[in-house]
Amino acid sequence: MLGKLALAGIKNRRRDYLVLLLGLTMSAAIFYMFANLATNRAFIKANAVVSQASLIFGFGAVLLILITIVYIMYANSFLLSMRQHDYGLFMMLGATRKRVGELVFLETLILGSLATAVGIVLGLAMSQFLVGFLLDMLGLHLAHLSAVYLPAIVATAVLYVGLFILASLFNLVRLTRTTVLKLLHTDEQANQPKVHPFRQMVAAILGVCFLAIGYWSLAAIKDLQMTAIPIALVTITIGTYLLFRATILVIIQGLRRTRWAKKHLNGFLLGQLNFRVYNYTRMLTIVSLLFAMALGAITVGSGYHRQLPMMANSLGTYTMAIHDKNAQEQHLIDQLNVKHQATYTQKRQGKVVYYNAAELKQQPFELNRGTTEAKYATHPKYYTESLKQFKQKGSQSLDFLSLAIRSEQGFYAPQILSAQQFAKQSGKTMTVTTVRVKNLNQDKRVLKRLNKLELARFAQPEAMTVGNYQSYELMSGFFGGLEFMGYFLGIAFLAMLASCLMFKILSGAPGDQRRYQMLYKVGVRQRLMRVGIAKEIGILFLIPGIMGVIDVLFGLQMFKPLMQSPMSPYLGIGSIFAIFIGLYAIYYAITLALYWRIVLPKAPTN
Amino acid sequence: MKMKTVVDVHDLEKTYGKANERQYQALKGLNFTVAAGEFVGIMGASGSGKTTLLNMLSTLDVPTRGDVMVNGHDVTKMRGNQLADFRAQEVGFIFQDFNLLESLTAEENIGLPLALKGTSSRVMDQAIHEVAETLSIADLLPKYPSELSGGQKQRVAAARAIVHHPAILMGDEPTGALDSTSARELLDLLTTINQKQKMSVLLVTHDPFSASFCQRILFIKDGLIGSEIKRGDQDRSAFYQQILNELGTFNE
Repeated sequence: MLGKLALAGIKNRRRDYLVLLLGLTMSAAIFYMFANLATNRAFIKANAVVSQASLIFGFGAVLLILITIVYIMYANSFLLSMRQHDYGLFMMLGATRKRVGELVFLETLILGSLATAVGIVLGLAMSQFLVGFLLDMLGLHLAHLSAVYLPAIVATAVLYVGLFILASLFNLVRLTRTTVLKLLHTDEQANQPKVHPFRQMVAAILGVCFLAIGYWSLAAIKDLQMTAIPIALVTITIGTYLLFRATILVIIQGLRRTRWAKKHLNGFLLGQLNFRVYNYTRMLTIVSLLFAMALGAITVGSGYHRQLPMMANSLGTYTMAIHDKNAQEQHLIDQLNVKHQATYTQKRQGKVVYYNAAELKQQPFELNRGTTEAKYATHPKYYTESLKQFKQKGSQSLDFLSLAIRSEQGFYAPQILSAQQFAKQSGKTMTVTTVRVKNLNQDKRVLKRLNKLELARFAQPEAMTVGNYQSYELMSGFFGGLEFMGYFLGIAFLAMLASCLMFKILSGAPGDQRRYQMLYKVGVRQRLMRVGIAKEIGILFLIPGIMGVIDVLFGLQMFKPLMQSPMSPYLGIGSIFAIFIGLYAIYYAITLALYWRIVLPKAPTN
Repeated sequence: MKMKTVVDVHDLEKTYGKANERQYQALKGLNFTVAAGEFVGIMGASGSGKTTLLNMLSTLDVPTRGDVMVNGHDVTKMRGNQLADFRAQEVGFIFQDFNLLESLTAEENIGLPLALKGTSSRVMDQAIHEVAETLSIADLLPKYPSELSGGQKQRVAAARAIVHHPAILMGDEPTGALDSTSARELLDLLTTINQKQKMSVLLVTHDPFSASFCQRILFIKDGLIGSEIKRGDQDRSAFYQQILNELGTFNE
């Protein structure tokens, strides 16, 4: 009988349950996708060449587990808040605590297992399609990646079901220790936090100290190695929490005493924030961390995406060198946005390669200051030398040396002959065409085909071609995993952040519904209520947003060793920040619309 | 001299339920007026239409037919912001469940109607302290509703209802959740407000004791005004007996 009643209770709130289930499912799916990447040894071995990459994967895994724990705790308290009135009612009707306890335990566990099972299936599907889509969009190729990976399934199932068993036990204890009356009336209480100036001050100072330690440890990742991340994680979390707890309340209570608070609904807004911010400090801390991680991860991912071509360009002069180009290759070259192009005739004999001085005079070989001087690394500066100078200096540059296809013994020594001498010179004759494109990223697809053709016809001993494109391909292999991780984690964290805030809204709305009904009765205009809600939710979004941006600005230090000059984790972050904040704002708008719908009283109609 | 009317209800009807559903007629053509400065009670059993009537008067619900004039405004013709402004400026409410915002202090709760009007903070402080003196709740101002007893909450609610000097004060079972001492205090307070500030009071109740503080009582039965009695010169306890007698015969 009681079981039937409990089921009916769930049915009545099926929309809330659906949201809860959806959030948990998404979380499980994201975790599976990540576990699939992180635990797949073959995949990591094939892609993470840099030693730090495995560190990053480990970091990501730890973060995700921690966030999942907090997330489930939060979802669980939402579940309990939804149900405790019903449970109180059952007890009032005479159900024993033991029986109600069993119900709570079962309900939480069933909900959790369902979410886990659906989440894993969804995760499988997402691994198949989303990951593939993401890789394709970024133009990356990651070897040994498959959607179904048994250890990842097991890891996800064990973690989630385990957490839900813990959550069920927690609910059981909580519920059997609360009085029936309290269960029946919990949603009618709004506790008013008191300000203790001294404690507040100490908390603020401690908070700043913890944050400073956290930021420092991220910057000092080179020295601290593995320990930097756990230190930062703990200290930044505690620091943010203390800082929020100490400062926001003081600011709000200070504002309440001003004249501004006595205009329109401002006083009400501050009153709302006052008890809300206090109750939500923990959640705001988590959201600010998630915000920072999502933004940071996407910033790093896009940093690699945009900066790898730049890095490649600083390494050499030409994008690609094609030997004895044929019609097909010429056709491809015509499709490129060529900035500079030159063709030279080579004659190879013994260990020497001969060039025609007339040709070099007519089309001087381009050199790049970026390869020798650090200050030109980000903005390559191309120049040419007079033939005489070139004979002494430029002709010894690596770019020029590698124009002649290497043999097993190494480079041919270049020698520049006058036109007559060159004509008389015997040796294996071939031409070489150097091409420099305007934008490597833009011409990536054509270059790839061109590179394949060149490789098929004239492979160097290491099965490589020469030029910046080859360097770019090599680096993509090294850093591609990191770039992908950045985007993937960024999207995952953003999604988690979204559902975390969603729970906040849903658990706060019923209480607010009553308040706005009161305001409506007292004669507050609809518009005023709308604006008031927009401000209230806006501030709740803004607080973790600001903190998140600060976290990212400091946290990017961590990637300095991984993004050495000319790359920098800070380069071009403006546009990424703008896009991310745009997404965040869209989420704010959706939240606001939902809240308005739940909370605003409807005008009477006939 | 004819007294100015504050409330004029004419042929008021309210039907719940849509045309194709089972309908219920809560009010069946009600007529009555309240003069300025009057203290009027509306009595009736549960389900007689008391609350429906009050909701119409306070624009929280719209009538199916008929006219409701409050202080010269035809409330049935108002829309949107007009309705909100009307509630904010022309009427003061006291509810059974207090309706105080628990996130605000008593002072902030009382100041809300003035804040909505955009009153300057100096004038607001003055008005709040004046009304707090009148209702002797000055010491409660910095407290939150959760720190107040039921009687204290209702006095704060009364202060909020009259701080902006509305044309009429409406109470929906304001003593319903109070113990007898607090109830008596509140009713005395309402009488004071009525006499000292010359504010019209409309009290909806099913409690004869509360009703005995009124000057005139309208009895509603099944959506119509069944009868009406006046206190005249008799003292409160005699009027109380009269109400009890009236109820005894009225409900037969």
